[in-house]
Amino acid sequence: MLWYKAWLETRARFLASLATLTIFCAVLVHHALYIACSNTFPCTEGWIRPGRQAEFYRLLLVTQEFLVFMWVLAVVLLGMGGIVREKALGTSSLTLSLPVSRTRLMRVRVGLGILEALALAVLPWATVFAISWIAKMPVLISQVGLYVLLLVGGGLVYFAMAVLVSSVVAGEYTAPALAVGVVLLGLIIFDAWLRRFNVWRLMTGDFSIDRDTYLLSGHLPWWGILASLSVAAVMLLASTLVVRRRDF
Amino acid sequence: MTNEPVILTHCLTKSYGAAEAVRALNLSVERNRITAFLGRNGAGKSTTIKMLLGMIRPTSGSGTLLGNQITDAEENRELRKRVAYVAEDKPLYGYMTVEQTIRFARSFYPDWRSDVEKKLLHDYELPLRRKVKALSKGMRTKLALLLAFARRPDLLILDEPSEGLDPVGIELLLQTLVVQAADGVSVFFSSHQIAEVERVADSVCILEKGCLLVDASLDHLRQSYRRIDLVLPTLVGEGEFLIPGVQRIQADGFHMSVFATNNAEAVVERAHGLNAISVEVSPVGLRDIFLETVREN
Repeated sequence: MLWYKAWLETRARFLASLATLTIFCAVLVHHALYIACSNTFPCTEGWIRPGRQAEFYRLLLVTQEFLVFMWVLAVVLLGMGGIVREKALGTSSLTLSLPVSRTRLMRVRVGLGILEALALAVLPWATVFAISWIAKMPVLISQVGLYVLLLVGGGLVYFAMAVLVSSVVAGEYTAPALAVGVVLLGLIIFDAWLRRFNVWRLMTGDFSIDRDTYLLSGHLPWWGILASLSVAAVMLLASTLVVRRRDF
Repeated sequence: MTNEPVILTHCLTKSYGAAEAVRALNLSVERNRITAFLGRNGAGKSTTIKMLLGMIRPTSGSGTLLGNQITDAEENRELRKRVAYVAEDKPLYGYMTVEQTIRFARSFYPDWRSDVEKKLLHDYELPLRRKVKALSKGMRTKLALLLAFARRPDLLILDEPSEGLDPVGIELLLQTLVVQAADGVSVFFSSHQIAEVERVADSVCILEKGCLLVDASLDHLRQSYRRIDLVLPTLVGEGEFLIPGVQRIQADGFHMSVFATNNAEAVVERAHGLNAISVEVSPVGLRDIFLETVREN
């Protein structure tokens, strides 16, 4: 039932984010297909025209760039809440009186958050695939998989950061404002001075794209993904330790 | 079943910076009794309860609840299976309906009693499909109490349980407390409603500024606390009655009122020795005991 409680707490944020991201992707891919198919939908000629495929995949890269921005904001919102927020709302006494450890409370919250973050990556890209298939210009399923992998593998660090912030700051507006501030600050700093380590570029596929075909190559930045996931794991561990030690 | 106290603390202290919310508390709550925990606002009652349930880490000292160390996270989790707790502000998840809240709570406790749940749902007239955030304060209190009473815990800890209830609800609550105690459940509850406490409590603990001032059975308090009103033939200094057991003396001309926690006989004897015109010894209610105790400190 802890999963059920966590779902009830996040479902409004999750469903709103899912709808926004899916609709956004559907509109953008429809537009990309329309341009790639000489202003027709569905495409009557398929991939026959030279350069059409590259043009289409370039627009998919643009779709991913926008999607990364919106996905990061969505997972930051999903990372808000938890027992510290419950303290501010006055319900932490009920939650903490249950015969459940604080670690388990954190595990459930993080587990559901990761599943929701995964769904926010998979479903919009599944929509892209479905629309392209209807338009008779199906996106390579491997490309869909790689974009999802980059989004989740690189981006979970933002979710973990949001969980850490919400484990320290209780305010309804302070916590999300601080988390979004950290995202933007990180974006500026990495883009200006640490471009090679920029998670944002990793997530958009900028490190892995073939500039001729606009297809993601098989040479993914595995070390970057691993580093990003490791930092996320450390942040989640720190959050658990903070929550375990806190007074409520 | 042992006779070990259900709650036992040793020098339990909680400080927030320089301020001490609870000071070296040595509390012992006996099994199978209804124990009232009294104190003014900010006396440290809720902090004590939260320390017992592992929500707040004590600054120093130790304690056991049902034989489990309160500061050990794993033992504390285990003890919470056997303790039902209703917090001061009756926290409930506003986004759940009454039905969802009951289903949620039920899933954590194998000792849940569906028959009691049904009976209390009927008695409290709780609307199953209504969201908790749409309930009145009294309804929320009733739902919080239902979540505690529908279980079969070893210990019930209630923080201001009657807050928000109408007289009918309070009556029902008091009856339920007595029934629970008769079923072998130890009850530990804080309240500002002294009249309610006096009706059901077996023992009373009074906390003031984080210190335990009184820890005794209600019968003992009733037997030993006395107010002695004297009319003396001459003006006598208060010092004449500064004898062990006397807590407060109020003098007004030839009239003197002595509040004694025990040893009333010695006061009467001293008054007769001073040729008192009138000596009237009267028992003291819990309300006066409480007021005199906290006033003194």
